[in-house]
Amino acid sequence: MKKSSKKTGIALLLILAGVAVLILKGVSDTGVYYRTVAEVLTDSALPEERGVRISGEVEGGSIHYDQQALSLSFVVRDLDEPAKKMKVVYGGVRPDAFDADVEVILEGRYDAQQNTFYAESLLAKCPSKYEGKTEQEEE
Amino acid sequence: MVTLGNLSQSAAFICSLLAMVLLLTGLMRNDLRFIEAGRRALTGVAVLASMAAFALARLFMTDNFQVEYVASYSDRALPIFYKATSFWAGQKGSLLFWAWVLSLYVALVAFNTRKETNRKNTPYIYLILSGIVAFFFLLLVTVSSPFELLAYMPKDGQGLNPMLQNPGMIFHPPTLFLGYIGFTIPFAYAIASLISGKIDPDWLKKTRRWNILSWIFLTIGIILGGQWAYVELGWGGFWAWDPVENASFIPWLISTAFIHTSIIQERRNIMKVWNMSLIVLTFLTCIFGTYLVRSGILQSVHDFGATGLGGYFLAFMIVTGLGSIILIAESYGELRTKHSLESLLSRESTFLFNNVILLAIAFSTFFGTIFPLISEVVTGNKLTVGEPFFNMVNTPLFLLLLAITGLCPLISWRKASMSNLKENFLIPFALAVAGGAVLFITGIRELYPLLAFTLSLFVSATILLEFIGGARARRKLTGESMLLSFPRVIWKLRRRYGGYIVHFGVVLVVVGITGSTAFKLEKELTLQRGETMSIGDYTLKYKDFTSFQDRNRTVYAAILGVTKNGEAVDDMMTERRYYINAKQPTTEVSLRMSLKEDLYLTMPMIGKNDEITIKAAVNPLLVWGWIGGVFMVLGGIMAIIPAGKRRQAV
Repeated sequence: MKKSSKKTGIALLLILAGVAVLILKGVSDTGVYYRTVAEVLTDSALPEERGVRISGEVEGGSIHYDQQALSLSFVVRDLDEPAKKMKVVYGGVRPDAFDADVEVILEGRYDAQQNTFYAESLLAKCPSKYEGKTEQEEE
Repeated sequence: MVTLGNLSQSAAFICSLLAMVLLLTGLMRNDLRFIEAGRRALTGVAVLASMAAFALARLFMTDNFQVEYVASYSDRALPIFYKATSFWAGQKGSLLFWAWVLSLYVALVAFNTRKETNRKNTPYIYLILSGIVAFFFLLLVTVSSPFELLAYMPKDGQGLNPMLQNPGMIFHPPTLFLGYIGFTIPFAYAIASLISGKIDPDWLKKTRRWNILSWIFLTIGIILGGQWAYVELGWGGFWAWDPVENASFIPWLISTAFIHTSIIQERRNIMKVWNMSLIVLTFLTCIFGTYLVRSGILQSVHDFGATGLGGYFLAFMIVTGLGSIILIAESYGELRTKHSLESLLSRESTFLFNNVILLAIAFSTFFGTIFPLISEVVTGNKLTVGEPFFNMVNTPLFLLLLAITGLCPLISWRKASMSNLKENFLIPFALAVAGGAVLFITGIRELYPLLAFTLSLFVSATILLEFIGGARARRKLTGESMLLSFPRVIWKLRRRYGGYIVHFGVVLVVVGITGSTAFKLEKELTLQRGETMSIGDYTLKYKDFTSFQDRNRTVYAAILGVTKNGEAVDDMMTERRYYINAKQPTTEVSLRMSLKEDLYLTMPMIGKNDEITIKAAVNPLLVWGWIGGVFMVLGGIMAIIPAGKRRQAV
């Protein structure tokens, strides 16, 4: 009986070790930095191999959308420091909620020389439908 | 109505406090009359809570927009049944809904145990339940009342978010809630056992139906949520590892683990500490879900934003968690079992491994969900993880779990001999290998999908053999024909076969998920009238464009002629809707379902001259996921249908 519970114990430990390795590897392979626009501008020392997720607000009047080519470009500004801005290029459909002054979450790579962010994904946050409301969604 | 709502809500709070006082007095004086009075007070809470719920529903129905909550989630143009569902569209209403359902559950427990008030544990069960009920009403009365009034009467409400105007809204939130709330009852039974110092050996048996029923509701809620996302949100998927989705999945995983090991405890009287811990964990993770949506600490589509309630729930979780740990530690001596697992190769140990893997998935899901909050502390850098993380970590774990699901019925209780294993193993193994080889030859070469399909075959084969074996054994005993003995044995042993049906449902879900994620086709294209695009076997021709007014929205629709392998099969219409009260349009999915694959169309953009952008996807086998969900629920229901007069063998 002793022997078998030892065997079970070892098998369990192996599984747990496997899970730990999976989680660590998962974080290191798929983890993405998240930054504000201002942080990306000041600290461009981010490693190239990893994507960055940034959040910011869409600058009104800067939106260009080419429906044929499905490409969207605009300027995003920092949420707290509106003077800090960068250009964004995104290839894909313009989301329903995307508009001037809407908060967006972008994932992709930043090119410091051109001050341009090449977004692979673009998420427009549902603007609070009503002024002064914080609650907006279901559960 | 506002007065009725406010009054009955406050009265419910006071009544639940009263119940606590009566029960405590009863316990201290050892006087049954007080316990009985406390029990009745709990029923009173349910009546009062129902009145509050009625009042809120009525306020929605009568368009009373002076009530801030009604004004925020409804308007005059809203179709009547969405007015009713607006009840739980926001934070405050959903909190009242929670408190109301909980009080009804508690009243049901009070009714079922009316002849057991003299048992040592019963008053403690009541006490814990009344404490939890009181907590929810405290929040409603003090910080989050849905009956708050605006200073003026607005002409109209602000309407319900268009995305919530979907049949999913009727069933998805309530079923999830019914599941979450249901686990309160077994939790109370477990803790009552610990506090009273008399561990009720039957607490698992008594709460088995509550557990499985809550699990069924949770399952329905999660699947309906997936379906809603699929048909309404229009991004083509059904699960995004969003924090709140995860928050519903974590208690599902833990309760699934719990249901499995409670079988072991019933049969072998081992794993008592383990089961106690699992039910506590299930309950806590249910509360964690509500905490997540109400605290604003993580971004989610389900988020209510920061509501000021986060702190209360956090405190509640900490108190409950620590209290439970202390209680379990104190009773550890009594709970510890003399027996232990006898062999690595026994059915018990497959249950143990199933538990470890389920908990590992729960943990990695939890870890990934809160990772953005802890990453800076752990890694010194602001890092976040998303879908790729969950898929990478959880997929191999799910496959392992699937393998165990197949192995489990092949291995006998206590200790399996190698020879009986070989004998049981041969047919399913051969079938799975043959099936895997066929798939490999037909071109499925990727490791995970190949494994997923092969293991699905393996599990299905073992389940089928289990059914046939049972029917054969019965035929031998009774001499009935196979046709008769098959359904009869399933019905007679519905607890066991219900479980197998759930497993088969899981297999179908795996098939649906694998097919639609590993072999999905997707394409986005902008079309002029008359132009075509093709995807998979389909060609889509942009035929016509139209617009019309429909109740509370303006609809723009494109009509596409669909041909499959050159044959015209269907015209599909995909829409963009502009709701009166919403700033942004919504995309309406057009779906052509078949057992082989779904054709899924949305129109994310309309340009000048009726130029449209079409997003098309082909999702193979996805339908099997929904069918699997139905099997899971039916199997679960079958397992809890009470036995007739005769005692049922397990």
